Amino acid sequence: MEKENIVELKNISVAFDGEQVLDGLNLEIKDKEFITLLGPSGCGKTTTLRLIAGFLEPDSGDVLFGGEKINGVPSYKRQVNTIFQRYALFPHLNVYENIAFGLRVKKRPEKEIKEKVAEMLRLVNLAGLEKRHIDTLSGGQQQRVAIARAIANHPKVLLLDEPLAALDLKLRKDMQKELKKIQQQLGITFIFVTHDQEEALTMSDRVVVMDGGKIQQVGSPQDIYNEPQNAFVADFIGESNIVDGNMLRDYFVEFSGQKFDCLDKGFAENELVDVVVRPEDVDIVAPEKGMLKGQVTSVAFLGVHYEIIVDIGGFKWMIQTTDEHFVGDNVGLYIEPDAIHIMKKSRYSGLYGDYSSYSEEMDEMNEMAEEAAK
Amino acid sequence: MKTSLGKRLLNAPCAVWSAIFIIVPLFIVLYYTFLDQDGGFTFANIYELAQYKGVFITSIIYALVATAICLLLAYPFAYFLTKSSVSSQKMMVLLVMLPMWMNLLIKTYSWTVILDNNGVLNRLLNLLGFGSIKLMGTPGAVILGMVYDYIPYMILPIYTTISKIDNSLLEAAEDLGSNAFSKLKRVVVPLSIPGVLSGITMVFVPSISTFYISQKLGNGMILLVGDIIETQFKIPNYPLGASMSLVLMIFIIISIAIMNKFGDSDSGGVMI
Repeated sequence: MEKENIVELKNISVAFDGEQVLDGLNLEIKDKEFITLLGPSGCGKTTTLRLIAGFLEPDSGDVLFGGEKINGVPSYKRQVNTIFQRYALFPHLNVYENIAFGLRVKKRPEKEIKEKVAEMLRLVNLAGLEKRHIDTLSGGQQQRVAIARAIANHPKVLLLDEPLAALDLKLRKDMQKELKKIQQQLGITFIFVTHDQEEALTMSDRVVVMDGGKIQQVGSPQDIYNEPQNAFVADFIGESNIVDGNMLRDYFVEFSGQKFDCLDKGFAENELVDVVVRPEDVDIVAPEKGMLKGQVTSVAFLGVHYEIIVDIGGFKWMIQTTDEHFVGDNVGLYIEPDAIHIMKKSRYSGLYGDYSSYSEEMDEMNEMAEEAAK
Repeated sequence: MKTSLGKRLLNAPCAVWSAIFIIVPLFIVLYYTFLDQDGGFTFANIYELAQYKGVFITSIIYALVATAICLLLAYPFAYFLTKSSVSSQKMMVLLVMLPMWMNLLIKTYSWTVILDNNGVLNRLLNLLGFGSIKLMGTPGAVILGMVYDYIPYMILPIYTTISKIDNSLLEAAEDLGSNAFSKLKRVVVPLSIPGVLSGITMVFVPSISTFYISQKLGNGMILLVGDIIETQFKIPNYPLGASMSLVLMIFIIISIAIMNKFGDSDSGGVMI
């Protein structure tokens, strides 16, 4: 069933001091979905959020809410609430009054405010802390107050601007689950901004990957991970080896000097493409059994698996494996057809996906310097 | 212990300075307060103060009125200043501070040139055919002098506290449904209370103890505590002057203590 669009951004452009921050952005956000804007800092994700909140007006393009244009509607009249990056809790008010703020502004009766605040405190597990002062709370508790303060107003859309960035890892994981739970429980649309790809994949119904003021890809976390549309997305989401390839014909690609079966089609014959292979999809086998042959140049133990860098004809591949290998080993790589993903060339081609700089580059440079000295 | 000795040595100049310039003069004031004509101990000076009750009350009223006017003018000014561009903020702060670098006596004297019966203002009024008005020697002139001289001390602390309010708090308030007025009422004003309190203190204290402004702009018609104290020291009647100073000082200390109490309950308690 296709849900209604609650927020639509149409051909939005924003520039600050002549610098293009958003460039012809189009995005449709469905009612009750958990959508994440993901990208590196400066990609325009926070700007997008501020446009929806009403703190910023686009230079061109329209913002629609429930099908109606809301350009120029001030923030206090919009049915959205925001959870700010540093929470922005009111330091002169206690927990109770912070949560009650929006209701008081709307002049709700005292009895209703009391019930609502109590309900919110239960929802975020802060019951009993009503009288506490904001600066006596821990970061996690402040985060919960910020959530309660925002959703006490029954927004149709909740905007979250990197709300978990200030929390430590353990707390962040807990809050991720809790936010997801709250979202499902209340049935509110969440628009979540983060630069943390793992956070985006675990929490979202859909992920919007952004860079340079443009949307690079929109899709489910699985789509984004398994079918990245260009080298930027492939590199930003998880680890990936990205090599130049030549699409000989449908389902048949050549890269690293070898020919491979694959599952992709729809390219021209002999079209030059980017080939993505995820590190966990490569099997290490004996050199004579491998489709590609190379030498291990670096091994890092990460607990769950080893991260191994293999030099294949000068290109460094990253491979994740649970088997131990040693630097200097000659190994073969075996790649299943479904582990190969083909992408069209883009402006990001050649910028990402080589692990030369990742491995012990300094060591190698030192070695080269030593050799040169001999 | 070495550290504490080092600390004490470091603090020594400060302690010596306070002793010479604050503690000792206070004790001299205290000593004179209870001194009679023959150098003996007496409470007579304190009793004598009763006849100056009216002057004390007048001074308090003048200081309160001047402080209130300063606050009413300074708060909106400071608030709108924080809303303007950074460059004009710098410029305006400089303009506010500029009169502070000028001598108080010169500033006050300049007003006599403007307000005098044959002054700039009256000549202008005459020219326009309105006739002269008596300005000098009126309570209005004295209040004007106080407001003019001390308003920078109200503007600056208020401006500083308002401009320090995190913009995200204002956005949060707006996000939660506050329009411009509600933002001002629920966030800006409560968070700027510390600046307001320090502004009030910094205007009220010099206003209540001034003597030059009332002498020059009041034409000697309006007597404030400061004038009386000055007269006593000129006569010289040190004991009476000292006892008046002491009472004034105690009054100011109590006022400041009450204000601080206000400040504490505002930042520490609930305020809706």
